[in-house]
Formats: sequence, C-alpha cells, structure tokens
Amino acid sequence: MEGASTNRRNFLGLVGLGAASLASGGVLAGCSKDPSSKGSATNAQQAAGLVPQFKDSTLVQPDVKGIRPMADGYVKYPTSLVDAISEKVITSGKPVTATTPWWGPAPPAGNKLNEAVNADLGGAINFSIQDGNTYGDKLNTMLGARDVPDLTCIPGWEVAKLARFSEGVHALFEDLTPYLAGDKVNAYPLLAGLETAAWQDSVWGGKLMGVPFPTDAPYPSVLFVRKDVTQERGVADPTTLDELYEFGKKMTNADKGEWAFGDIWLEVQQICGAGGSENGWMKGADGKVVHRMELPQYKRAVEFMARLYAEKLVHPEIAASKGGDVTTLFKGGKLFMYGTGGGSWKETWRPAVQINPKFNMQAVKVFGADKGQAPVRWRTRPAILWTFVKKGLGQERTQELLRVLNYTAAPFGTKEWELQNYGVEGTHFKRDASGAPVTNDLWVKEFANQFIFLGGRPPVVVGGPDIPTYAADFVNWGNDASKYLETNPWDGIKVETPTQMAAIAQPTEDKITDILKGRTPVSDFDKVVSEWRAAGGDAGRDFYAKVLADNGR
Amino acid sequence: MSADTVVRPRRNTLRPVWEEQPSLLGQLGKGTILTLVVAVVVVPLWVVVVTSLSSEKTINSAGGYVFLPREFNPSAYVVIFSGGQITDAILVSTIVTLAGTALSLVVTVLAAYGLSRPGTLGHRPILFYFLLTFLIYPGMIPSYLVVTGLGLKDNLLSLILPTAISAFNLVVLRAFFMSIPGELYDSARMDGAGELRVLTRIVLPLSKAVTAVVGLFYAVGYWNAFFNAILYIDRNDLQPVQRVLQQFILAGQSPASSGAAVAIPGLGSTVPPSLAIKMAVVVVTIVPALIIYPFVQRHFTKGVIIGAVKG
Repeated sequence: MEGASTNRRNFLGLVGLGAASLASGGVLAGCSKDPSSKGSATNAQQAAGLVPQFKDSTLVQPDVKGIRPMADGYVKYPTSLVDAISEKVITSGKPVTATTPWWGPAPPAGNKLNEAVNADLGGAINFSIQDGNTYGDKLNTMLGARDVPDLTCIPGWEVAKLARFSEGVHALFEDLTPYLAGDKVNAYPLLAGLETAAWQDSVWGGKLMGVPFPTDAPYPSVLFVRKDVTQERGVADPTTLDELYEFGKKMTNADKGEWAFGDIWLEVQQICGAGGSENGWMKGADGKVVHRMELPQYKRAVEFMARLYAEKLVHPEIAASKGGDVTTLFKGGKLFMYGTGGGSWKETWRPAVQINPKFNMQAVKVFGADKGQAPVRWRTRPAILWTFVKKGLGQERTQELLRVLNYTAAPFGTKEWELQNYGVEGTHFKRDASGAPVTNDLWVKEFANQFIFLGGRPPVVVGGPDIPTYAADFVNWGNDASKYLETNPWDGIKVETPTQMAAIAQPTEDKITDILKGRTPVSDFDKVVSEWRAAGGDAGRDFYAKVLADNGR
Repeated sequence: MSADTVVRPRRNTLRPVWEEQPSLLGQLGKGTILTLVVAVVVVPLWVVVVTSLSSEKTINSAGGYVFLPREFNPSAYVVIFSGGQITDAILVSTIVTLAGTALSLVVTVLAAYGLSRPGTLGHRPILFYFLLTFLIYPGMIPSYLVVTGLGLKDNLLSLILPTAISAFNLVVLRAFFMSIPGELYDSARMDGAGELRVLTRIVLPLSKAVTAVVGLFYAVGYWNAFFNAILYIDRNDLQPVQRVLQQFILAGQSPASSGAAVAIPGLGSTVPPSLAIKMAVVVVTIVPALIIYPFVQRHFTKGVIIGAVKG
C-alpha cells in the first residue's frame, strides 16, 4: 500500500521539491505504457460496414457552406429554434456519471448550467471534469484500475499514450455496433447526423466502440496575421517563401520591441510542401512509404526556419523557450504572425477586440514556397475525441446512455444546442439586437464544454456580433485550403503506432528544434535523419507499409 | 630592495583579516553581489504581484509580464474570490496541511523512536521494509486500487494517508534520536520513566529543531501536493489549491501547444483567464508559505545542520 510507504514522487514532494516532483510525475506515468506494444491497425473494409447510416441533421441553411470536412459557417444566429427532442431521455431516474476534459478552471459544483440541461434531460449527469493537461495520467490510472464512469470522453492524442488501448477498449467499453450500425442508428437520429468519416474513425478491432466528436476544420494549424497592423503599414500577406522572409524583415523592429514571427514551424513545413499527415508518414511519388523528414521539401523548411531564427525575426521569448505566451504577445502587438490550431482563432480574437476595437486577426491564404508551386495542408483525423460507454451495463441502460449522447449531438439551430452551448437566457446570456446570445461571467465560470464533448455534434463555425466576419473568414479560408488537403493513404484505418517509434519521436523532434534554433548547425540535419532511421524510423516505415499492404492499398 | 620592505607585513596590523576595517571597494563589491542575490529572489515575486494588479490592456501593451506598476487594478482578485473556488481550495489545502502534518509527525516520531531503540522487536526487518520504499515504487494503478478500494475516493484522507510517512523523514528523525546519549535514557529509566515518558520528556524536547524541520518538510509537501488530487479527487469543491492554481495557469492552453497539433473547437467558445488572474492565483498560493517560513526558518537551518554533521 502506498500509504505505508513513500514512492519516488511523494518522496520528492515531501522534501519540498514540488517542481521536481511534478516533472517526475510525467516520467513515471510514461513508464506505465506497455513497452512491448508492437502497434496495431484496424482493417478499413471492416470499418465501412459498421458505421451508422448518415442522415443529415442540418436544420438551418448555412450562410457560408463549408467544403467537407470543413464545417459550415453561420454569420447570423437563427431567429427561431427547433425543439429537437421533446421527450425526456433519462427515464430510469438513475444519474449518469461522466468524465470529460477541460482546459481551464473546473466549473463550480453547484452549477446552474448543468441543472438546466439535466432538467431538460429528465435526469442528472454527474460530471467529473478533469484538467485536460493531466488527463492522460488520470485516464491511464482509471483505465488500468478498470474504474470507469458510465460515459468516458477520451481525446485522440491521449489514446496514443494509453497503454494497450486497442485491447483495453474492448475490456472496458461497450461494443456499440449492435446499437448503431447501419440503419439501427435511426433510433438515435441526431447521432446519424455525425460525419461518416468520424464514425469510421471510431472502429477498434472490427467493432464500433465510441461516439466521435467530429473535427470542425481538418487543419492542424493555421497561419494567423495581425491584419489591422499590416494593413496600416502597407505590408501585404506573403504568397511565397521569399515574401514570407521579406515580411519578417519589414515587420521586425527589435528596438521598438516588435518581431515579425511567433512559432511558424508547422506552417513553414506545409508551405514548403512537406506532407505526412499520418504522424509524418506518407506515400512518395514512387508509391513507397516515406517520412516527411526524408523529403527535400522538409530540409528546405528546416533551412528556412533556421534562417528566421538566426536573423532574429522570431520573438526572443518564443525563440528562447517554449514558455512565452504567444497570444499575449500577438494581442499586444509584439509579434504579428504565428501558426496555431484554428480553435484558438475565436478564443484570441474575441477578448482582444474588447480592448482594441481595431484588432483584426486573420488567417493568411495558404501559399506554396515558390510561385506556381502548391503547398500541402496536413489533414487531421476526422474525430477529435470519443465518448465510450461503460461495458456491461445491460441493454436498457446502454440505450438510455445512447439517448443522452443523441441529445448532446443536437445540431445548431435547436434549443438543445443553445442550452448546452450558452446556458439559460437571462441567467447565462442575454440576446443582442440580432438575437444572438451574448454570454456573461457566470457562463464563463460554469461552462466547460461538458455536454458538447459527449456525443459529438455536427460541427459549425459560429461568430458573434463582436467578431462579425469570423465565421465567413474561417470557412472561406478552410474552403480555399481544402484544395491542398493531403490525401492520407491510411485514412479510415486505425493505426496504433509501435512503441519503439513513438519513443523516438520526441527526441528526434528535440534535435530538429536544436537545429532550427541554431543550437546545432544545419549541417547536422542529415545525421539526425540517419540516426532516426536507425533508431526505429526504418522499422516504422515497414510497419506503416505493412498496414497499407494488409488493406490492399 | 631594502630588508625592511621585505619583512613589512602587507597590512599595518597583526589583526586577523576579519577584524580589519573593510575597504570601500570590498564593501561595494559585497553590496553589489548581495543586491543581485536579493534581486534574483525579489524581482520574479515583484513581477508576479505587479502583473496580478494590472489591467488586460497594460498586460497586452507590455507583451506579458508587467515590471513597472502603472495602475492599481484589483479586479483579478475580485474575479478569483468571487467564484468561491479559490476560497474552497485554500480551505481544503489548509485542512489537509494541518491535519496531514500533525498525523505525519505523530506516526513518524513514534516509528522513528521505536526503530531508534536497539532491541525493539523486529527492528531490523521493519527498518528494512521502510528503506525498501526508497527503491521500489508501488505503481500508480495499485495505489489507486488500494485507495479506491478503501472508499477514500473524493475524500480528503486520500490526500493524507498515501503520503503520511516519508521514509526519508523517518530516517532523519531516527538518526537524530540515536545520537542522543544513552546515559539520558538510562537516567530516565532509573527514575522510573516508561518508553512514552522517555519519548515525550527526554527525546522530543531535545529534538525540537529536527522535529520542526521534518514538520516543515511534511507541511510544504502537503501544501504543494497535487498529483494525488488528480487521481483521487473528482469533486470540484474538494480540490486543493495547487490543482486550482495549475488549472488557472494552464487554462486555455490547448493541446496544440503540447504537441498534439489539433484545434479544440470548444476552446474557441470561452475566454481563458487573463495573465492578471493567473498571477493573482500564484500570489494567493504562495502567501501562506511566505508567512509561515520565517517563523520556522531558524529551526530549519539548525535542523539541517544537525542532520548533516551528526546523521
């Protein structure tokens, strides 16, 4: 028993080395990943027959139609809302337990938003809202101890870190195939509105295991620019790699405390045309499996990025460590361009515009390294996270839980959607002149995306009166970028990376970072790649090639 | 060169160097170095406090941390204390720290005393068992199973019991107890004292410093601990302050920045707490340690030295 002893982590904690203890916590948690995992893959054909039949659940015609998998955009908020589910979905009276992640302060226990949704559901969902940054540790322990709630929400990137998940998923969670495959999903019409690709991504070992949360934009990163500042200074958005460099030169003025760039490494790789959406893997022109690090385009990206760092065009706080808060620097006009996930667009723009009404955050139209050369856009997985139903609860309870997930999958334009996203009118939000909800401080405290993370939802891009162009900006940018979206040859196959390969990823990335930041010379690059090949890169190539061959691709 | 220049001492007196009047240069040098050392400690604290009292606008225009105070804006403190979450968390941490430290001290002192007396029944194997925990880590999942099996999930005891005894502290205390001269024990026995009386009347009064240090170790450990709370505490109103601090600090930091390179759509719908709020939480969290530390510090220095030279 741990109580009678002291483990390494506690020991450090007890002698007051809190920080060291925190760091070793991650290491210790990492040790629990089974060292012998050889990787696994689900057959794609198998997956095709298991998924629910798609039935569009869109209620409101979008203002800007997205080219799938880009979500539709809504500039105006609908004036009348549909009551999609009129009957109560929790009929047993038994409370539902659920675990979801959240990246922020957990909402208080007495929560009016939860109460309102629970009342509409006809029963209570008792949430355990976990910190997203330590969620992996928590999940590893919970799943290892077989202690899971009725509904467990697991993000895709955590799945990769969970020990032997492809086996564990069948031991812990209910097979949903008998409930949802094909037209059986008709009992849950709102779940039928989730994208087929996302459902295909929810198949483990030939069984439909989870309800997916489809992505709203298939892009892992977007290049953002302070359009208000660049317009004022008459600096155009770059359209080639050279122009990107010129942009850096024009916008950097160290004396004034201004630098052109934050971290744009992910973007530079894509601009240069280095593909590899499947953990860096792709099929080369000759049909052979290659990793993006082996491409000349990647080397070009390394050289370019190293030049930006060497010429001090990247903000020093970003260059010095990974600690600098890029959004604060961006909002404060200390840097003008950086790449990050599209999800942070609204999150950064919205509070900034309250302080500086001129603040305009825009995505740079995607461009290739040279005139006439197409860039590559990496494609994310169609599902971001999944909700799993606890195994062995019996048919009735499983159906009840699926009804809950059906409820939480309500599309934009329904009362259910508004209630889960904005809470109660008068309590959590009021409406502006156009009828769009404007949330208050209570909402900020009580909202943790808790219901939305369960059961997915057809994704939509919705702006607000404070950022009226956002929805159109995002969808139009995404539609344009979709022309360059990479086809992932492993699409629809659930690949679990062999542990050996997963283990070399981070050290290799660190070596590349050293080159980019000038801590080791660019000439070391070839050596890094050959070391990576020997340490497991080549083994990884064989593994990924075999997965393709097994699927006849 | 004449003989008397050779024999003349470098200084005019024969007093040892530390009794000399320090030279101006030496004083300036010492002053500078000490100022730098103080600055290394004080400046980060200063920046944290000033930033916590700044408005969003000031923070944005400073591009992050604020060094020069431009205003007094306590709104961040109003925000964090209005929800009740921080006040709850401080209460939880205080209870855990006080109760935990008390319990840990009692059991550690008792165990250390028992193990310090030669001839205690099973003294070697028990000591070996304690020392083994330096080497063997029980593992997260077994610990979790034990704690949940005892029904301690969502119970503050789960933050105390698993870390109630630290083998390190036990060894320190035991070594100190063993260094107390045997004659004192003998004389107490001759006066008719039993083990408990020997412990409370002879050993503990002689071990005030080291006990204070071990208590401080425990207290700091309990106050700073957060990993057990991740595992065992799901209820939001039972979270210790370090967990809440961590949530505030990392809030809005999407997994994209932790290497997963995905956009979380839900994140776009909420406003992450501003830097001012994060810093206000930091201030609130470190204040208790800042208040308590000076009082225990003299024991701390003494205790550590005792352990070092006599252990």
